[in-house]
Order: sequence, then structure tokens, then C-alpha cells
Amino acid sequence: MEKPKIPVDLILSKLAEDAEKAQVRAQKASDVLLQALDTEIATTPYDVVYEQDRIKLKHYRPITDIQYKHPLLVVYALINRETMLDLQPSRSVVQNFLEHGVDLYMIDWGYPSRKDRYLTIDDHVNVYMDDVVDFIREKHGVPKIHLMGICMGGTFSVIYSALHPEKIQTLVTTVTPTNFDTDQGLLHIWMKAVDADRMVDTFGNMPGDFLNFGFLVLNPARLMIDKYVGFIENMDNKQFVENFVRMEKWIFDSPDVPGETFRQFITDCYQKNLLIQSKMEVGGQRVDLKKITMPLLNFYGKYDHLVPPAACEHLTRQVGSADVEDICLETGHIGIYVSSKCQREFTPKIAQWMKTRDAIKRPAAKRRKAPQKAAAKRTRKKTVAS
Amino acid sequence: MGLVMANDQNIFSDPSNLLSAWMKTASDFWGETLKVWTGPAKDREDSPASDSQTKSRAQESLETVLKTWQTLSKVAHDPGTSEAFSNFSHTMPDILQKIIQASWQGLFHVQQQWLEKTGKIEQSTQAYSFENIDKNTFKIWTDIYENNFKQFLHIPQLGLTRFYQEKINQATDNYNQFQAAFGEFMYLFCLPMEKSFKVLQDEVAKMAEEGTLKEDYNTYYRLWIKILEGHYMNLFKSAEYVQAMGRTLDTLQEYLKVRDAIIQDWLKAMAMPTQTDLDDLYKEMHQLKKRIRKLEKKS
Repeated sequence: MEKPKIPVDLILSKLAEDAEKAQVRAQKASDVLLQALDTEIATTPYDVVYEQDRIKLKHYRPITDIQYKHPLLVVYALINRETMLDLQPSRSVVQNFLEHGVDLYMIDWGYPSRKDRYLTIDDHVNVYMDDVVDFIREKHGVPKIHLMGICMGGTFSVIYSALHPEKIQTLVTTVTPTNFDTDQGLLHIWMKAVDADRMVDTFGNMPGDFLNFGFLVLNPARLMIDKYVGFIENMDNKQFVENFVRMEKWIFDSPDVPGETFRQFITDCYQKNLLIQSKMEVGGQRVDLKKITMPLLNFYGKYDHLVPPAACEHLTRQVGSADVEDICLETGHIGIYVSSKCQREFTPKIAQWMKTRDAIKRPAAKRRKAPQKAAAKRTRKKTVAS
Repeated sequence: MGLVMANDQNIFSDPSNLLSAWMKTASDFWGETLKVWTGPAKDREDSPASDSQTKSRAQESLETVLKTWQTLSKVAHDPGTSEAFSNFSHTMPDILQKIIQASWQGLFHVQQQWLEKTGKIEQSTQAYSFENIDKNTFKIWTDIYENNFKQFLHIPQLGLTRFYQEKINQATDNYNQFQAAFGEFMYLFCLPMEKSFKVLQDEVAKMAEEGTLKEDYNTYYRLWIKILEGHYMNLFKSAEYVQAMGRTLDTLQEYLKVRDAIIQDWLKAMAMPTQTDLDDLYKEMHQLKKRIRKLEKKS
């Protein structure tokens, strides 16, 4: 007998089978959702060692002997919160650093209120970051520290390193936008059409929920539909539900962005692309990327839809350092920090890279007379980790 | 009785007579009423105060009104005026007809415009594509609003409350413009859904023809999500979407700005600090902190 073109019997039996499964799943899901769930985030113990206005400096309690001469300061973005680096013990960048003997500090930018609307990039970089760096240097009696920036925090770290190179031992940038003249990411396309002046004049600070909505509509099929279909399909799995809720807690915890900082970030970076051209001015000083002469490790995600590779990979070519390395991981914007696969590659690589540069002298800056020739001689590496 | 009836018939047959009769009756009535009201005042004529002083202001006003009525009544009896009234009663239906005709034509014209334009919208919707979306589709609604309604909100306001009324009108106008832009934005935002279902149906039909239909419906869901994601990516990169998004944001912000200005007026009236007052204070604080930091570094 010839096989029918539409396997009605198979489709119906599969439907019946799935209906039974769904019923069992719903019963189990009800048990899971009604029991006590462990959905706490950012549980690694730390002390707040410094406070200024709304910002706090977290110092994580070491769990092993410190293996580095210079402590590491992590600077997160102003959008969302630094708790993403410590979502759960088994997927925690913070835990991994502590296990490697890193003396770890992290800035908590807090929740900007209306009174913070006039804070500029200059205030964040030359006031808050600089005071924090000075505090750590003084506390540890070291002239320099390791600096790691994430996303917009990475952009701040690049600016800081260019303006205060004498205080930075090494610079690690992760999913950090520095070249904004690209059409690879939707944010880059949309931000060119946004009237930042009007937005800031209207809202004062940029509302976090407003920005979050903008991120959701970057991919509504996945972020507004498929994600929750996936949740329904796995509601009976306690571990899955706990991890899902942790992620939801983090993703919708969105502080507002100080108005003047937002204005400058959109106009100078997204619309004029001044940073990568070393033309951006912060606090009356030009941010000259050639002054970044410390070792630089630059991570980015191949499938990052917010900060695509084209926005990240130009940095290592523009800085003055001879010791630079790009690492492109096959993941997205958040996957670098939370995916189990990346956990095995990301933190160990940074820990190892910093260790080999922890006590050495800073590599000499390129000669200014023949920049093109010097650039060709640089030990620039590019790795694509799979 | 028969004479009265004849007189009455005569009165009703001629509108000018009717008017004169009505004015006479009114005049007589108010004259008698006034006499009753002013009576007590006349009784007090022996009082030392003059007549004008003893009359109340209300009585004076009534007397003036009555005199005017009496004058009008006399004039109405004048043959020339009666003729004019008589002519008016004949021409009135024509005038009314002209007024109604003009209003109806205006209304009909607007309705016709609406029908034509809504017809165009339907036409554009059927022939959509991301690459070639009819840019005028949603401008039509804006045009209707701007040509037929908006100007009423911009009639110059007068008097003491003119600034407040102007802000309320502006807020209404801005809100309408935001709604128009938001409608366009949502239309574009929903297009991929429509299109993805259509593509999915085509795919399923193709699979059915080839005999490759899958029994697991999850396969179709995955296929649909993939198609939908692809459509959204195409849409989001299109200039039309970026422009619609920009317009929505701009109009929303314009509306919020005026809305906040109205709220600030209320806060001022209640002697409460406004957002502008607080912002000024925050700005000053920020500048002072910067100056202190500079001074601290110098010392």
C-alpha cells in the first residue's frame, strides 16, 4: 500500500501522546511552582568597602590564596546590573575568578535617581571610577590595578585607560562597543535615528523599563514568544525553572540611565563615532586611544545582536599597546558570562592572561614616527573559540 | 365671539400682525407687573428721598427693558416694518435651506474624502511588503486629522486662562498625533506575524504535495518561529520601520512634554515644587560638587 501524503494517523497519535505528556507536565509543574524555589542571585559573599553618592564598591571575600600582585576591578554597564556575573554558584564569573585566586572588586552603579540626571560620562569615569581606582591602589599599596569592563562599562574602561594609563596594569574588554559605525547590529541602526536631546529633555533619566522594552523588540520572536514557550515546555523541571527565574530577575532589574550620560553616549558614540577615531572629549580631555599602552585582551561574541563583532574588533588596531589579543567566542551578548561552555573558556583565559602580565613591566608603546610599520609588527592575536 | 375668531384668523394669516400682537401682549403684561412692583415705592413719595433713590436697581432695569419693548412694539406697528417682517417670513425658508445646504455639502465633502482615503488604506494593506510599504498609507490619517480637526485646536485662546487652555489644546493635539504615529508603528510591527503565517501555510502546502509532512507539530512551531524571526530582522532593518519608530518616539515625547507642563501648572497652583524647580536644584548641586572637588584637589 502506498504511503499517504498526509500521515493523518501518525499526526493524530502524536497529538494524543503529546496531550498525555502535557497533562503529566502540568501536574509536575504545579508541584514545582508551588514549592520553595532557590532563585536568589548574587549570593557570593562580599563587603562594601567604599561608597560615594549612589555607587558602591564590592570586595569579594577570597576563597583561596590571592595569586596576583594587582587586584582586579570589574566595571559593569549602566544598563542592567552587575549581578549577571554572579547569577548562580555553578555559573558565576565571580566564583570562577575567586577560585583562580583573583582579588576581586566590582563597582555597583546603584539606581540613579532624578538628581543624577546631570551626571556625565566625565563624572562616571573621572570621578567615580578614578576615586574607586585610587581607593584600591591605596588600600593595596600598588601603583596599578587590572581593569575589566563589560559592555558600556568596557567603553568606560577604555576611556579611563586612555586618560589614566599610569594606573592600569592590564585592560580586559568584554562585549565592549568602541566602533559604532556599523550596520551589523540593530541598535547601531536605530540609535542613528534617535533624537537623544529630545529624549533626555523629556525623560530626564532614560527609564530602564523603556530601554528594556527596546531590547525586547530587537528580537520579538525569540525574546517575547519562543523564550516563554520554552519555559512552558520545561515547567516541570525544577532546576530549569530556578535558572529561568534567576535570569528573569536579572534581565528586568533595569536601573535608569543618567540623562546626560545617555545623551553623550548616543551622540558622541552611536551617532558621531568619535571614540574609535580618538576624537571624543571627556571632561575637556581628548580620549586618545594611542595612550592605551597596557596589555589589552578583547572578548566579543560572534552572535552578539547588541554589540556585534564589527563594533568590538577595531579597538585592538587603534590602541597604542603592542600586546593585544582578540577572542571571538561563538556565543551571544550574555552567553559569554552565563553559558556553561563559555564558563570553561572565558574566566580561565582571563585569569591565565592576567597572571602572565601581573608582575611584568608594561610593554613599550609603539613609536609614533612610523605607526603603520609598528602596527604590522605587533603581536596581535585573534582567536575564535568554538 | 365670531368677531374675535375672525380677528384671530386675521392675526394668524399675517405674521407681521402676529408679531405686533405678541409684542403688545408682552408690553401690557410687563407694564402691569411693573406697576405692581413700583407701587410701594410710589406710596413712599412723601419720603424725603427722591424717586430715583427709592427705586431698587432691579426696578430701574425692568423699567428700561419695558421702555425698549414698548418702543419696539410701536415700531412693529409701523407699516414699513410690518412689510419687512412679512417679507422676511417669506424669504426665511430660502435662507434656512441655503444654510442647511451649505452645511450638508461641507459634511458630505469631508465624508467623501474619508471614504476615498480609507479605500486607499485597504488597497495599500493588501499589497504590502517591507521593501515597498506605501509611505502615504498612514500619512492619510494624519492628513485627515490635520486638515479637518487640528486647526480647531489652534484657534487663538483669549482671556486670563488662555495659556492654560492653549496647553490643554496642545496636549490634545500632540496626543492625537502620537496615536496616529503609534498606529502606524503597530501596523508595521504586526506585519511579520501576518506574513510569517502566510509563508508557513505555503511551506506546509509544499510539504503536503511532496508527502514530507511531519507528524510532530513542534516542527511547524520551530519553522514558524524561524520564519517570523527572519521577517522581523528584515522589517527592523528597513528605513520605513526606523522612520515610523522615530516618529512614534518623537510624538510621544512631544505629548509628554506638554502633559508635564500642565501638571507643573497644577503643582504651581498648589504651591508645590515642580520638576523644573527640582531639576534646577539638582543642576546647581551637581555644579557645586564639581567646584568643591576642584578646590579640594588644588588645596
